[in-house]
Amino acid sequence: MARNFFTMMKSTAPSATEPSTAERTVAPPPPSMKQDAAAGVGVHLDPTLEAVRHDFTEEVEMALELRDVSAFYGSFQAIDRITLPVPRNRVTALIGPSGCGKSTLLRCFNRMNDLIPGARITGRIDFGGRNLVDPNVDAVEVRRRIGMVFQKPNPFPKSIYENVAFGARINGYSGDMDRLVEDSLRRAALWDEVKDELDKSGLALSGGQQQRLCIGRAIAVQPEIILMDEPASALDPVATLKIEDLMRELAEDYTIVVVTHNMQQAGRVSDYTAFLLAGEERVGRLVEFGPTQDIFTNPLDQRTEDYITGRYG
Amino acid sequence: MSAAAPSAQLTAFSPRVRIRRSFSVGFMVAALLAIAISMIMLGALVVEIAVDGAARLFTDGTAVEREARGGGIVTDLPTPVGMAWMTWALPVAILLPFIGPRLLNSLVPGLPRLAERLIGLIVLAPAAVFIHILYVRFESAYLIDYARAVGIDGASGNLLQLFGEASGFQIVRLLVIGILLPLGILAAGWFWSQRMRKPSMLIPAIMIIAWVVYLFIDPWFLSSFPSRKPADAGIFSAVTGTLYMMVITAAIAFPLGVGAAIYLEEYARRNWFSRMIQINVSNLAGVPSIIYGLLGLQVFVRVLEFERSVLAGACTMALLVMPIIIVSAQEALRTVPPSMREAAYAVGATRWQVIRFHVLPYAFGGMLTGNILAMSRAIGETAPLIAIGALTFIAFLADSPTDDFTVLPIQVFNWVARPQAGFHEIAASAIIVLMVILLLMNAAAIIMRQRTRTDW
Repeated sequence: MARNFFTMMKSTAPSATEPSTAERTVAPPPPSMKQDAAAGVGVHLDPTLEAVRHDFTEEVEMALELRDVSAFYGSFQAIDRITLPVPRNRVTALIGPSGCGKSTLLRCFNRMNDLIPGARITGRIDFGGRNLVDPNVDAVEVRRRIGMVFQKPNPFPKSIYENVAFGARINGYSGDMDRLVEDSLRRAALWDEVKDELDKSGLALSGGQQQRLCIGRAIAVQPEIILMDEPASALDPVATLKIEDLMRELAEDYTIVVVTHNMQQAGRVSDYTAFLLAGEERVGRLVEFGPTQDIFTNPLDQRTEDYITGRYG
Repeated sequence: MSAAAPSAQLTAFSPRVRIRRSFSVGFMVAALLAIAISMIMLGALVVEIAVDGAARLFTDGTAVEREARGGGIVTDLPTPVGMAWMTWALPVAILLPFIGPRLLNSLVPGLPRLAERLIGLIVLAPAAVFIHILYVRFESAYLIDYARAVGIDGASGNLLQLFGEASGFQIVRLLVIGILLPLGILAAGWFWSQRMRKPSMLIPAIMIIAWVVYLFIDPWFLSSFPSRKPADAGIFSAVTGTLYMMVITAAIAFPLGVGAAIYLEEYARRNWFSRMIQINVSNLAGVPSIIYGLLGLQVFVRVLEFERSVLAGACTMALLVMPIIIVSAQEALRTVPPSMREAAYAVGATRWQVIRFHVLPYAFGGMLTGNILAMSRAIGETAPLIAIGALTFIAFLADSPTDDFTVLPIQVFNWVARPQAGFHEIAASAIIVLMVILLLMNAAAIIMRQRTRTDW
């Protein structure tokens, strides 16, 4: 496993362990790019364009490494050759305007797109030395190791206990199930609220509680990575805050990838941010990736700056 | 407390109370109307008893005929007395639970909830007892009159002795209805006062159905075999044959139909082959049933040599209802939202685990509903069974699936085809039995659909 994705990718890059804005390496943008970017919305991206990358400011292992990942729905290409590292035990945010392929990209990570007829992925996603995209890799096994939380809370219409226990049970968990349920719900910051009514239907909870139940359900399978697709977009500010706190806590033990429309949320919870943008032909491409602080305080691409300052998107 | 007093006085005139009062006026009108109707009914009953008395007891040819051949001592056919009593009791039975607590509330506004309920019960209980007494009185009067008319010695005035001579059905009817009706009214009233609307509506509904059956159907009619004489003819073999065939039909069609639906919805790729199957299934649902009958005649009766058995009929019916079951099961599967499947997949479930633990349980109610509706279609089908040669005169019960059988619609078909008027009348009764079975099945389907509905 590469210690640092970018040192491996670009041998000329300076050591990533010395954080300094002066030493930040930027992929050389073609001359036309800045001009296009200045034109604002609907910029036609040059397919050969490489994304702008900030250097890492810390030593970090990679949980996932994407190389030239493209996704198609039938003949429609949703994302185009995205190359992106996902640091281990960090929160990585995928931001960008609607329809830029954030969710599609996220669903590539745990082969959720396999469920959609006509969907296919090309490229490589390295996960522990194996290529997730390879059809010979068992998608069920991938989903056991890479959990997912969805935009709309979707607890099963069963008891709270069953919601959490289901994943572990089908995966052949043979330990103390009561304990696992309690641990998972504690980790999801829900235990104190539901410990006396574990037999109640998961649907009887409030929206925020349901989403935390879904997080607990994902944790119970003991995954390495948790994918979150706009987990707080259907929730009120208080519930959102709880989910965000939870993400920060979970990042100590899990790698988290979160798709969000909410710029402040990305700024608050994520360590790394990837900005995606779709051109006129609706094909999503990676524009800029780096530590969240750098992306937000010092975006190197004009389009990123426009987006995070709210000029479009 | 004294500090809160002014505000309490203010709330006494709050708009909520006023609205409640204006509603109560409506309920008082309804209650008075109900009482007026009841009084008219009661008056009609009194007049009827006074004018006709026991004379009309013998207008029913069937009862006389059965008496002539030395059958049961007391007929089970409804009498004018019983009929009149029911026309009076029904509105009260239905309306009392609805108006009771509200009537109270309109008379004494602002009554505490608990007191309202208690008083509601206290008012309802004597009402129920009153109805019970009326019922027993009229039933007894009828029994005594009848016994006197047919000349039972020492029967007059002696109810106990009369009961000793009466048929089992008569006593059961007296006890069951005489006790269950007041209890039903009480229960309905209680449920209503507890704001449990569903059971409070359901109980009167069940009572109405029971009364309709009681009005037209003699239990004896349900428990005897066909006969050359209309008075002796019953539908026992037809009802049991129908039930027997339906059970086997469901046992064949439900697993196959649901399996096909799961394959089509969950496993089959969307290509020309699955589309062709889908179109075929839809078309098969519209094929005339006589065609299925001819298919069943050749395949099951002749080639597989099931003869004219329950099994052959059930196999033919299974073919007939399979498309309906498949289509409704597919619809049930489609109602399970994709988010549920995704949630299950996301914790590492295989396709079969997703279907087994999530999709099937959530869709099962809908599937069962579709199955019941398909069965209620099959229960009325006549043509395919005539085609495979189901018999019409079966004076025994089928012991095994390979026995001969008949079903209700065929029995009706046979009876209406006869010239005697008596057969036409019992055919009408058989149709009512068929309708009641159908209604019950469809009601079960609706209740099941409501109960298993999940708000995602």
